[in-house]
Amino acid sequence: MLERIIKAYNEAVFETDKEAAFEVINEAMAQGLTAEDVVFKVVIPAVEEMMADITRNPDANLAQHFMTAQIAAEVTERMLEKFKHPPEIIGRVVIGTAAGDLHSLGKRIVMGCLKALMVEVVDLGVNVPAEKFVDEAVAHDAQVIAVSAMMVHTATGENGCRKVREILCQRGLEEKIKIVVGGAPYRFDEALYKSVGADGWAADGITASRMIIGLIRVVKDGGGP
Amino acid sequence: MTPLDILVAAINGTPAPRIPVFCNLLDQGARELGMPQQQYYSRGEHVAEGQLRMNRRFGHDNVWSLFYVGKEAEFFGCEKILYAEDGSPNVGDFVIKTWEDIAKLQVPDDITTHPAWAETAKCLNILREEVGSSRPICAYLTASTSLPALLMGMDKWMELLMSGPADLRDHLLAKCAEFYQKEVAAYRAAGANVLVYSSPFGTVYFVGRNRFDSLAMPWMKRDLAPGGVGNIVYYCGMAPFNAVIPDVMNELNIAIHYVSPLDNLAEAKSIINARLLQHDGKGLTCGVIDDIKLIHWTREETRAEVKRICEIGKPGGHFLFGTGVMPMAIPEASIHDMLEAAFEFGTLP
Repeated sequence: MLERIIKAYNEAVFETDKEAAFEVINEAMAQGLTAEDVVFKVVIPAVEEMMADITRNPDANLAQHFMTAQIAAEVTERMLEKFKHPPEIIGRVVIGTAAGDLHSLGKRIVMGCLKALMVEVVDLGVNVPAEKFVDEAVAHDAQVIAVSAMMVHTATGENGCRKVREILCQRGLEEKIKIVVGGAPYRFDEALYKSVGADGWAADGITASRMIIGLIRVVKDGGGP
Repeated sequence: MTPLDILVAAINGTPAPRIPVFCNLLDQGARELGMPQQQYYSRGEHVAEGQLRMNRRFGHDNVWSLFYVGKEAEFFGCEKILYAEDGSPNVGDFVIKTWEDIAKLQVPDDITTHPAWAETAKCLNILREEVGSSRPICAYLTASTSLPALLMGMDKWMELLMSGPADLRDHLLAKCAEFYQKEVAAYRAAGANVLVYSSPFGTVYFVGRNRFDSLAMPWMKRDLAPGGVGNIVYYCGMAPFNAVIPDVMNELNIAIHYVSPLDNLAEAKSIINARLLQHDGKGLTCGVIDDIKLIHWTREETRAEVKRICEIGKPGGHFLFGTGVMPMAIPEASIHDMLEAAFEFGTLP
């Protein structure tokens, strides 16, 4: 049964058909699958599979990437309410777009993947000042700040990631909070993330999520490299 | 030959001393005139003057009538633009906040009488007077399938496109197509002669093959049908689009392609040149440098990359060297290095 459900769910996600994906999940629950099974045996493997597909399938696309993450996040959120025991949360991330930037597509893709992978996400929205990233990370005890930027000047300018790094440094928080960045400029120049003071970047949602989970563990283990 | 003659020769595949060299300098104009961006972009005279001065300083072939990409949203009521001194202005408030706002969206009856057009018209008048007979004057027009991203944000548009009600999506697209048709007519009448059709959603990279065929292509046809494809350049906002070049050439009849630096340029060139006969021997591959790297590249690195692009593009002709929207963080010396190399390696026998 599980195999059939996984196949049907994956097909729905591949076709970016949100309605069909939910039908599969509802049917699976009606047939006795637990909420835990839905998340850990269907949704998370599907996210992983879809994101891996992006690198090997020439017809995989941004819309699929976006919808996969949204569907996964929505299913996970609904299933979490039905969990017998609250799941273990891996860690916490504050995320937003850099000051001056209102492009939120990439942020939503990463948020969707993180939620499905049991990382708590605090969404700070768009056009977020650097101080707010740090203040909110401290307030929520987050291990990672994720700064999304779609334009070169918001990615490399003085008010984005560079300033977040500067504030973390001033407040002595660099071992406690890591910074990741994402967005088109980093894709066009893969060395750019280092020059703005980030600890990492990734080209897609699932790679970003894996990297963020790695950084959360680094912080929890003491913050060293 | 003037730069305009050289461009026409490249499209036609007739002899010329060199390839055309485009350099897309926009926000640098404010720095050139020594004024804040908001002041610079408030007057068409400023933008025209900025373009002309930068053209004299750097010597590239083209000038731009584009202020900033978000300007198109102003025709629909956007009143808030986020200016930055180190980069491009950005839409600061989306006019479509909820799906209900789509019904209220108004396409101006005559965009040339709309206040958002007035300064662009002044800019175009000046450019046409000053360099219209000798240099390509570029205009930027967003395709109907991509304009909603400026009106409601990319993620909200993606949501409506992928999982929203089809009738609402099509209602919005119809308004955007109507706007495009009016806009392209206005630009043509005002003297723009390189019309960059920006269509990021017209790629399988964005929407996949099924939606490209069933949605993007029909709407692009609708955009382009009334005015035709004369002087239209296919551009996907730097997203890769080699996979759809045959479709765009066969079905839309567009033979000028501004190729993504993320695409394989040799492949693009070969796809385009193989179809020139269908287009009366006319067509152009625009080889685009990854200009974000110019921010930190050395002179040698810049020259090597320009040389590589020109060596791929020159054989068989029908080739132009170009840039993306050059970030302001690129040092002036690097712009000179890039253009010097483009003129040197772009020389034709």
